[in-house]
Amino acid sequence: MEILIYGTINSVALALYALGFAMVYGVSRLPNFAHGALYVLSGFITWTVLNTLGLNYFLSILVSFAATAIIGALIYQFVLIRIRGMEISEIIASYAIALAILEGMRWAGFKGMNYTLPVFIEGSTTIAGVTVDVHRLIVVAAGTALFGLLWVFTRYTRIGLALRGMAQDERAALMLGIDSDVMAVVAMGMGSLMAAMAAALLLPLGNIVVESGYNVLILAIAVCIVGGIGSWGGAVLAAFIIGFAQILTVVFIGPHFQQVVALFAIIITLILKPSGLFGQQKELEERV
Amino acid sequence: MLEASGMMVFYENMLALNNISMNCESDQIVGVFGANSAGKSTLMYALSGIILDIKKKELMAGGERITVAGDVLFDGKALTGVKPSKRAKMGIVLCPERRRIFKESTVLENLKIGGYLASPAKARDTLEFVFSVFPVLDKLKKRIGGFLSGGEQQMLAIGRALMAQPKILLLDEPLLGLSPLMQAMLIRSTRDIRDQKKISIIITEQYARPVLPIVDYAYVLENGSAVLEGTRNDLMDNPDVRAAYFGI
Repeated sequence: MEILIYGTINSVALALYALGFAMVYGVSRLPNFAHGALYVLSGFITWTVLNTLGLNYFLSILVSFAATAIIGALIYQFVLIRIRGMEISEIIASYAIALAILEGMRWAGFKGMNYTLPVFIEGSTTIAGVTVDVHRLIVVAAGTALFGLLWVFTRYTRIGLALRGMAQDERAALMLGIDSDVMAVVAMGMGSLMAAMAAALLLPLGNIVVESGYNVLILAIAVCIVGGIGSWGGAVLAAFIIGFAQILTVVFIGPHFQQVVALFAIIITLILKPSGLFGQQKELEERV
Repeated sequence: MLEASGMMVFYENMLALNNISMNCESDQIVGVFGANSAGKSTLMYALSGIILDIKKKELMAGGERITVAGDVLFDGKALTGVKPSKRAKMGIVLCPERRRIFKESTVLENLKIGGYLASPAKARDTLEFVFSVFPVLDKLKKRIGGFLSGGEQQMLAIGRALMAQPKILLLDEPLLGLSPLMQAMLIRSTRDIRDQKKISIIITEQYARPVLPIVDYAYVLENGSAVLEGTRNDLMDNPDVRAAYFGI
């Protein structure tokens, strides 16, 4: 039972990490290596607004959402748009941005263990004999709601449908008047917003440390590779596979092997099915 | 309505379009005929502005150098350098070669994506119109695009282009790979669309015979040059054309 509950919580957390990454890649084929950096950045924005400006916690989170989304969109509009379509350059440039953000924050003094955000609701409850923090349950509920909202957004709204069209065939979308540059900026802004949402939900569970930017990136990439890069459904399924694998590892092998699981999953996927569970990267499969 | 003059397109040093001038009046159906690599698709890309996007992508990836010259006038406005998305908004919508429908989305979603530029009310009206022209699509609404047959995909591609509220619809080889029965049906629908929607249509095809009955005016391309042009009857009566393009 413990495994089931904590496995679910862990899986939802992984899916939250990966969602923004998967979305940006799915729409504009941009592997956004700055995803983890945006995640941590949004945490520090919330912390700063909360503690130095003294705004209410909820408002601080909203400020960090807006700020992160705008920063993401600006990164795209002013840097990444110039190297659109060249994946290696996109990886290098976005990773450089990630380094600049993360190491910049470290340089600015955000280091150590003293940066924490309060949980939404204190306390814990017992489900089927297992003690769980209320906040972790909020994470699962809010995460599920977010996936649901995203599903509705991509199926029933004009912008969401346009994003999906562009994800499938950019030039065909262009012929219908969907401006790919504008849409890519929108996608990057939304991907950053999702990083910020993940941060708001998950950072209160631990410390805000610069290093988690790298961890989040690795986990997001692991989930996307296992799920099949560019496939959102695959990403959620992969999050559950890796999430449960991690918890099982913690329970039966040892907590310090938890991080290895994600990397191991990448290796196994690349050996067995390089395109991932639901990947559309057929050319990769043929090449390998 | 749409007027092109002196259109030249080079891929590196290869001349793909050589000094093409063409004209399409309101409510006209204009045919563009020619063999493979005659420049039909390039002409469509040049008119719809997609060539600018191809050029940009090639430039960024360090690929082929594409040069575009010549003027396109739409309702008297010059289109030189106008982005393809802007041109679509102005009413020039391309329904591309090989259909390029969104294969992972359902038929209805494809049409809705096509309605990106339309207001909700317009989109609803057009959706009804598309279903009235192609009743099959109404039945296949929930089907995933990639599972449709070639003819159904072509209907979907035309319907999707109509959703974008075109004033002039560019159909690039809509009959490619379809059965004669389906070809005849599509040609009839094309004429119905023109008659009911009052839009202009430019249609390209390799083989002129199925299309010729509905065109008002036509151009014949060969190696990027317009070698012949004329009204339907002019071309019908021309023995060279009959031999070379109609197989009569």
